[in-house]
Amino acid sequence: MNKIVMRKVVILLFLMLLSSNSFAQEKSGFGNVEAGKKIYTKRCIFCHGEQGGGDGPAAERFNPRPRDFTMGLFKYRTTPNGMIPTDDDLFKVVTKGLPGTGMPSWESILSSQERRDVIAYVKTFTKKFERQKEALPVIEVGKEIASSDESIEKGRALFKSLECFKCHGNEGRGNGPSALTLTDDKGDPIRPRNLTLNWHFRGGGEAKDIYMRVNTGLNGTPMPSFKDSLDNEKSWHLANFVRSLSPSSRPEINGVIKSKKVLGNIPADPSDPFWQDAGAGGGAEYWFPMVGQVIREPRHFTPTVRDIFVKSVYSDKEIAFLLRWNDPSESKDGEPLPVVGGEGDEDLFEGATSAGGEEKPVATALDDAVAIQFPSHALEGLRKPYFLMGDEKNGVNLWTWKAGRLQESNANGIDKEVVQGSANQALSGGGGYHEGQYKVVIKRSLMTADQEKDMQFEAGKFVPIAFYAWDGHNAESNTKRSISHWYFLLLEPPIPRDVYVKPPLVAFGVFGCLLLLQRKLRKNHGKL
Amino acid sequence: MRIPLIGKVAIIWVSLYLALKFLVSPSLPSSVIFMYMSLITVCILLFVSVFPEDAEAFFGPIKRFIAGDQTDSAVRKLGRVAMFAIIPLFFGHRSYQANMPSYEPPLEQRIVHPAPPTEFTGMYNPYREDHEHFAENVKRGGEVFYRNCVFCHGDKLDGTGIFAEGFNLRPANFQENGVINMLQESYLFWRISKGGIGLPEESTPWNSAMPRWEAILPEEDRWKAILFLYDYTGYKPRTWE
Repeated sequence: MNKIVMRKVVILLFLMLLSSNSFAQEKSGFGNVEAGKKIYTKRCIFCHGEQGGGDGPAAERFNPRPRDFTMGLFKYRTTPNGMIPTDDDLFKVVTKGLPGTGMPSWESILSSQERRDVIAYVKTFTKKFERQKEALPVIEVGKEIASSDESIEKGRALFKSLECFKCHGNEGRGNGPSALTLTDDKGDPIRPRNLTLNWHFRGGGEAKDIYMRVNTGLNGTPMPSFKDSLDNEKSWHLANFVRSLSPSSRPEINGVIKSKKVLGNIPADPSDPFWQDAGAGGGAEYWFPMVGQVIREPRHFTPTVRDIFVKSVYSDKEIAFLLRWNDPSESKDGEPLPVVGGEGDEDLFEGATSAGGEEKPVATALDDAVAIQFPSHALEGLRKPYFLMGDEKNGVNLWTWKAGRLQESNANGIDKEVVQGSANQALSGGGGYHEGQYKVVIKRSLMTADQEKDMQFEAGKFVPIAFYAWDGHNAESNTKRSISHWYFLLLEPPIPRDVYVKPPLVAFGVFGCLLLLQRKLRKNHGKL
Repeated sequence: MRIPLIGKVAIIWVSLYLALKFLVSPSLPSSVIFMYMSLITVCILLFVSVFPEDAEAFFGPIKRFIAGDQTDSAVRKLGRVAMFAIIPLFFGHRSYQANMPSYEPPLEQRIVHPAPPTEFTGMYNPYREDHEHFAENVKRGGEVFYRNCVFCHGDKLDGTGIFAEGFNLRPANFQENGVINMLQESYLFWRISKGGIGLPEESTPWNSAMPRWEAILPEEDRWKAILFLYDYTGYKPRTWE
């Protein structure tokens, strides 16, 4: 074929490609608005609302509330504070979702084109995207400074000097002095993130994500951008410090709590060195997710406690549990609640708005509490009581710690709980609140006289165990609580002495046999 | 090249072991493999002991290796030391495994889709044939879903709601092929109305977090939610024909 014709064809094709491309871009920007509207109507309106106001029928049952697109304020961006996000930022949120919120990762259902289309439609709810003519500035994560003790210490100093602790607390558990009074730009209460549980971070829990967050801030919330106070190095130091507050990897559910046998008395004080000593109570800590009680009315959709950490040991006489859970406030029945939006540090948080001047009645808190649940007595076969507070036939035995008071009770249903008589009350324990965290020890003797109402503990037997928690500041009491499912508790029998005696004997015996064989063979060397 | 007898025996022994371990399907438990291999070992030993020449060809190298010799190469010497270490350690380890008590939690088996009671068979969704208000009814069903079911069954209906991880019986995934498309709408209506606590014993009702929705939602909302589940996922309910 003629080379010139060939070249013309190629150029023509190239031009067509270019023009069709730019045509498509002009028409839709990033995705197709009409196609996006269809997807939005099918999949998004129930939370985000038909007009994008974040007011769909499900909205009030979620905390955080679904995003109100009409405000044009987006939290998870790579653009400077106050600016709209890039298309890539939105694409990332739609694709990966926001962990811990109702926003799922959509990549399993929507193709990347569909995700682009729905983003194109979402951008029409506010004029901000249309008005943005020039390209958006983007904050880049600079050259990484690997985490080290030195970097973490520098980050700790920044955490102090930038006053991060005012909201996030001295130890980072989201319990700073202003934590309970904050509101977002819509006037809804908002809680600072607990920085010690990074699997709940919406925008990602790794150092690079934290780097981005401290530089961009969270639009529409009291979380400002610290870009002006941070350079690349400082950003990494701060990010490395915050990252170091969480475990190196997300804890996993291990369905069996192994209670280790210890000698002597088990201290009731969780700060006793016993609980750090590897030879005593310093063994494995088990993590369990806690969720809202959404099964029986009145239900609870926005629980405070989402994680509980459990250790257990036992002695000849008693069994003990060390429970650890996070709560941004210590609350006791009848204490006045802080006024939300009233006492925020207005200088530090320019973005934060108070809830307005209107007088609110002084609300009071309820008791913070935690409970451990066992069946009332060992059951035949695999039958367990109903996991939520037992059932008519099979009751549960509850050990409750409520603002410092211990109580044993039994239940045959969430509305059928009966406190045991004072003669039967046999729990002891201790502990309390420190910097956004409860640490409580609950103990009881292994065996009791009342075998019908009290779980009896024997080494080597699997006992079903479950947990409950209540945050008094979040109006939690009774059915409004965090719940867990049944797991198992195993009192590990001490390892039999044979385990340490027999294997060396066997190994030694075999070795001796080999030596004898060799000697015999050497004696008969001539015959070999 | 002629392979010495001991080499042949080793090749046969190893290949039989590999065949038992990897070629047999379904795979054999290790105790059965151990039994077969013991039998094979005994047979081989019998076979090589029948004629004195074979016995010498087989046991001779082994005896010489164990006994050792001043003229042995460094590799042979090292091999001998390794053998004297590994064989006792192997038996010591077997003894440790045999004596160390292990505790396994009881396994809970359950029937996933038990037969529904008679009052829930043969029912039809009263809104399925209401073509005029279909979209409206689906939308109402969606509202019911996102205000009640979403916390466990998830925004995408795939069983990954924000509370899903808290439950041992994970919430049903309606997107999965073989779940709602294999069930009649009346079955869903039974499960939704009576909840986990309404399951028969063989389905471990004590483990299910499914609420008894008849205590919370009116009947028409339950039917409309079912309509929504099928509409959203694109599946068709199994019919009674």
